[in-house]
Order: sequence, then structure tokens, then C-alpha cells
Amino acid sequence: MAEQVTVEVVSENACADDDTSRHPRRVEILERAVVAGGALLAGGVLITGLPRLATSAPSAKQDAEILNFALLIEQLQVAFYAESLMHGRLRGQWRQFAQVVAGHERAHRQFVESALGSKARKAPRFRFGEATSDPGKFSAAAVALEDTALAAYNGQGPNLTASALGAAARIVSVEARHAAWARVLAGQNPAPQAVDPPATEAEATAALKRRGLLDG
Amino acid sequence: MTITAPERHRLRRAGLVAGALVACAGLCVTAVSLLSPDRSQTSLLPSPPASALGFARPTPLASDAHLARWAPVDAVATARRAPDPRAPPVARISTRTPEHTRNIVQLLGRTRERSGRLWVHVRLAIVPNGATGWVPRRALGGYVFVHTRLVIDRRRMRAVLLRDGRAILRAKVGIGKRAWPTPSGQFYVRNRLTRYRSPAYGPLAFGTSARSPVLTDWPAGGYVGIHGTDQPELLPGRVSHGCVRMANRDIVRLGRLMPVGTPVTVH
Amino acid sequence: MLDQIDPSRAISEAADRVARTTRGGLLKQAGVGAAILLGGVCTPAAAAATSQKQDQAILNYALVLEYLQSSFYTEAERMGALKGALARQAEVVGAHEREHVRALRAVLGPVAIARPRFDYRGVTEDPSAFRDTAVAFEDLAVAAYKEQAPRVQSKELLASLLSIHSVEARHAAWIRYLAGRLPAPDAFDDPLPRRRVVAIVEDTRFIVAPAKTSGKKPPRFTG
Repeated sequence: MAEQVTVEVVSENACADDDTSRHPRRVEILERAVVAGGALLAGGVLITGLPRLATSAPSAKQDAEILNFALLIEQLQVAFYAESLMHGRLRGQWRQFAQVVAGHERAHRQFVESALGSKARKAPRFRFGEATSDPGKFSAAAVALEDTALAAYNGQGPNLTASALGAAARIVSVEARHAAWARVLAGQNPAPQAVDPPATEAEATAALKRRGLLDG
Repeated sequence: MTITAPERHRLRRAGLVAGALVACAGLCVTAVSLLSPDRSQTSLLPSPPASALGFARPTPLASDAHLARWAPVDAVATARRAPDPRAPPVARISTRTPEHTRNIVQLLGRTRERSGRLWVHVRLAIVPNGATGWVPRRALGGYVFVHTRLVIDRRRMRAVLLRDGRAILRAKVGIGKRAWPTPSGQFYVRNRLTRYRSPAYGPLAFGTSARSPVLTDWPAGGYVGIHGTDQPELLPGRVSHGCVRMANRDIVRLGRLMPVGTPVTVH
Repeated sequence: MLDQIDPSRAISEAADRVARTTRGGLLKQAGVGAAILLGGVCTPAAAAATSQKQDQAILNYALVLEYLQSSFYTEAERMGALKGALARQAEVVGAHEREHVRALRAVLGPVAIARPRFDYRGVTEDPSAFRDTAVAFEDLAVAAYKEQAPRVQSKELLASLLSIHSVEARHAAWIRYLAGRLPAPDAFDDPLPRRRVVAIVEDTRFIVAPAKTSGKKPPRFTG
């Protein structure tokens, strides 16, 4: 009879399992660790001796800036899918994809808007050209859009406060699902890499502009 | 502290480079970014921090040409001639070896009945040597994969341990006298014994699925072992009742390199 | 929730289908065996432990989940029972999970938890059981990483874990698609607390103690 094994995950964190607010602010720990001069983690290959980046500490103010960037992306996605569905040229699985994803992006937009309250930015005017009316261009644009949205969220995630991160994390994995789904439908590898590289704000907006999804 | 726009821009580029350095330290990273840095725009938002983990390109599994599999016997079972409950029985497989370790079987193949029931083709530790049979998957535990193989050359009286097809250990051996030959064929290592006091077996002994074709009444089944010796001066030679003997320093090395379940080829 | 699955039930039903017995009758009864302890023990002293130790515990937690997945996909690929798109998914995703294991072990060094022994009880050899279990595994990994993210102390480590988290979500969408399910069942994915994840993993009974193949009895081989 095989002896069963129980997996017990007990750690210091278990002492404060559901209370993230008690955790010290991440960046302070980081800076203390770096000042101490060693690797961040024992036994690891880690970031010893790299120049410290002047990344800003997580703060409510920075959260708002980041969330407004997220809001722009959600606004873009809502507009893109709405316009694509309106043209009525999508069929079959692509149409189902657009319908489901449109609903998700609307929910995301509303969520981020509520989080920002009066600080929420206004949506710019979006011009998508044939990306929404030509099914072939739509599929390529959808893949790029979802991949970029994901990279942008991953890029900013570590800069958020813990509570904002918790919220953003519930969105980012859905964007990743969208990206994989679009790729499957497009006949591409849904997960082309072992890890998803993050994008800076500038990289993300540049990618969207190159795709003709954002003016500039 | 305020950071001016040009400083921010410089820091961001430094961050990208630093990130790339970390990511590439010792490994190649597939940072297939579909994005290229846009130098003309000043970022308002902070850069992503460099990844703490270094990731490399994922690689497919190596070929399984040198892979062997074994599984523990979790429930007493009847091995049959075919993957069918009505097929004639070949042997009963117990959960324990005579040395009171968990019995294991080497896996040779598998199949699925139309009903969905899974059967596994296994090598049996019975005589005649080389016997195989089919048992229900249910009777076995988790599969374990090994990359090693031990080859015993009886004519040259030599043992070679291969890992992924490459020799990592060679040793002179003693084999069975002509009256009690070490059997030839395909076998596997069933268990590993240590900390007993029996100098004739040296410090470490492996049990195998091979059984002496002549010592059929041997207590504890007449299994062929691979072990050390207190008479190394006899090696190489035909010296034993079937066991494969090697010098104690060789068996200790083998103990470090050869996991239980390793297939053994004797020719 | 639309097309959400109960991962614990999905996995055990898949395993049961393969074993063709009811849950109660399965040969392997859950018993108290060795425990895999991840991280330190929760004492007041430990609660004040360094952020480094906290992050190490998170990494080891992630490592166990990656071991579970990588061994699963690796065994499925080696047993060769999958065909077509499902086989391809297992190859690609398995390679990712193996790389996650390697990277986590590299950063943990000597404090990395050892790979447990697994018994997938035929689930890797039955395409539909494999598929349903993979759906559960990937959704579980997404929820587990997501729940840990706000607790990570190091920003750099958080960046790494987020980049794994989203790939697990891609895996989840992919296998769901192959299973004829909605790749993205909901607008928001929810985190799962660690205790719940551990309970689900325990319920699978895939983690087993290694078989005792070593002994101290004097050999009675032919000699």
C-alpha cells in the first residue's frame, strides 16, 4: 500500500495568512537587503552588485497613475472589440471569441474606473482602420493587443501596492487567457515562451501604435 | 527626491540593460519581446524591475532511447500472458522482496483495454529468466524513470555502467563458476542493501531480478546479486554461485551512481 | 460561475475513471504519511522572520506546484498515450514547467525542496483523464500564484512570479480549448488560498512516499 504523503505548506506567512496589510512595504525590504550588499536570496544566482534603479516606491498616487494606464488599455480593448462586432464580419469561433472577450474587457474597464473614481482618465478617440473590419487583420490585431496588454500589466504589477496588485492580478491572467485563445484560433503557439516578458509603458504604447491601434 | 526626465530616461535604459544582464547571466534567455524600446518617449511610469529568476529557453525532452521505467508493486497481483483478466496466469507478484524491501517491476510497455482499463507489461523476477507478464496498472505505484544501464560482459568479466548511453563506471567482476553460471539476459536492479555484517558481500549489495537457473532450491529464491567481496584477489574470475562480485571500492562507487530499477544486461 | 471547475473533484473523477473504482474503494487509501513541510514553522519568532525567508517559502511553494505539473506532463509525454493536439500541448507546456522548476531550483539553491515522488495512477496514460486533470492543474497554478503575489517581498522576485503566473494562464486557456471548454470562463480569475491549494493537491493523492527499496537485511543472494 503506498504511503500517502501530506503536503503541509507552513511558512511564516501562515501566521498572517489573510492579512496582506501587515506585510512591510516591499520596496523598503528590498532597499535594506540591497544596502546589506548580499544577494537577495540565499543560495541564489541573484542580483548582486547591479546598479540600483530609481524605481519609485509603491504608493496610492503611483497606483492611480498605473491604473490610468491600465484603464487606457481596457478602453482600447473595449472599443476594439465593440467596433469589430459592430462591423459584423466575424464568424464562428472568432465571433464567439470577440463576444466573450468584449464582455470581459467591459468588466475590466468598469472595475478600473471604479477603483480610480474621479481620477479616471477619459477615453481618447480610437481609430482602428481595417483592423476591426477585416477578419484577417482582426485576428492579427487581437493577438498583438492581448499580448501587449498582458506585457503591460506584467510590467507594472511589481510597482503597485499590495492591494492594487491583488486586483490587477485578477485581470492579468484573464488577458493571458485571451492572448492564448486568440493565438489558438490564429493557428499560433498559445504560449510561445516559458515566461511572459514584461513591457514598459513606453514599449507597450509603442507596440500599440505600430499596430495602428493607438494614435501617435 | 525628484528625478529629471533625462535621468529617468537614462535609468530606464540602464534598467533594461541590467535586466538583460541578469536574465543572461549564465544562460541564454529567450526574451522574445515583440516590443522594442521607444527611445523618443519619456516614460511616466516606473520600469519593471529585473527578474529575480533567470530563465532559459525551454527544451524538449531528450530521446528515451536510454530511458528505463520501473514501478513499485503496491498490491499483490497476478501477472498474465496477455492484458486480459481471462488470460492464463504467469506468476503471482508480491509486494515484498525476500529482503523485505518493496518489490518493484521493470516496465516494458502498456496498453489500454477498450473498456478503459490500463495494463502494464512488466519484466518478472522468476525463472525462466526473461519471463514477462501483464498486470493491471492499479497494482503498481508511481512510475520512476532511470537513465542508467548496467552491462555485464561474462566473457571479459567486466561491468560497465552507462548513463544516457555513456560509460561512467567500469569494473572487473567475478561471475558464477561454470556449475553455477551467472545467467545471461535482461534483468533489473530490485533493491539495495547496506549496513549488514557479511564481509563476503562487501559493504553494499544490490539484488536483481535474475535468478540462478540451477540453484532453484536456494533459500530466499536464489536471486543473483551484485556486491562487494572480501576476496578481491580472485577478481576477475569465475568465483561465485552466480552473483556478480566487484572490488569494494567499485561497489561503493556503483552505489553512488546506480539507482534501484536500473536495467541490467548480462551477456 | 460559467464553466468554472472544482479542481479537486475534476482530478479525482479523472483518476477514478482510470482506476475504475469508486473513491472509497481505491486501493490507495489516504493515510498519514510523511509530510512535506514547506518553509519554517509558524511561531511568533518565525512570524518576525526575515523577508528573505518569507520569499523562500513562497518560492518553495511554487516549486512544489511546478514539480507536480512538470512530472505530470513529462510522464504523459514519455508514456506516449496522447495523440495530436493534446500530445503537442503536453510537449510544449511540459517544457515550460520543467524550465520553471529549473529556474526556481537555481534561485533557491540548497534550500530548494526536493522533488517528491509522484504516482499519477494512470491519469497520464488516458487522454481524457489527462486532459481534465491538466485543466484543473493549470487553473490551480494560476490561482495559487495569484494569491501569493501580494505577499512577495522582493520586487524582482514578484516580477519573475508574475511572468510565470501569466504563462500558466496561457496554459490554462490552451488546455481548456482542447477540452472543449471556454478558455477564459470569467472576466476575473480568483486567487485560491494556500490551504485550499494544498488540500486540493492532497486530495489528488498524486504525491506519495518513495517506495522503500533499500534495506539492511543481510543478503541471501546466491553469493
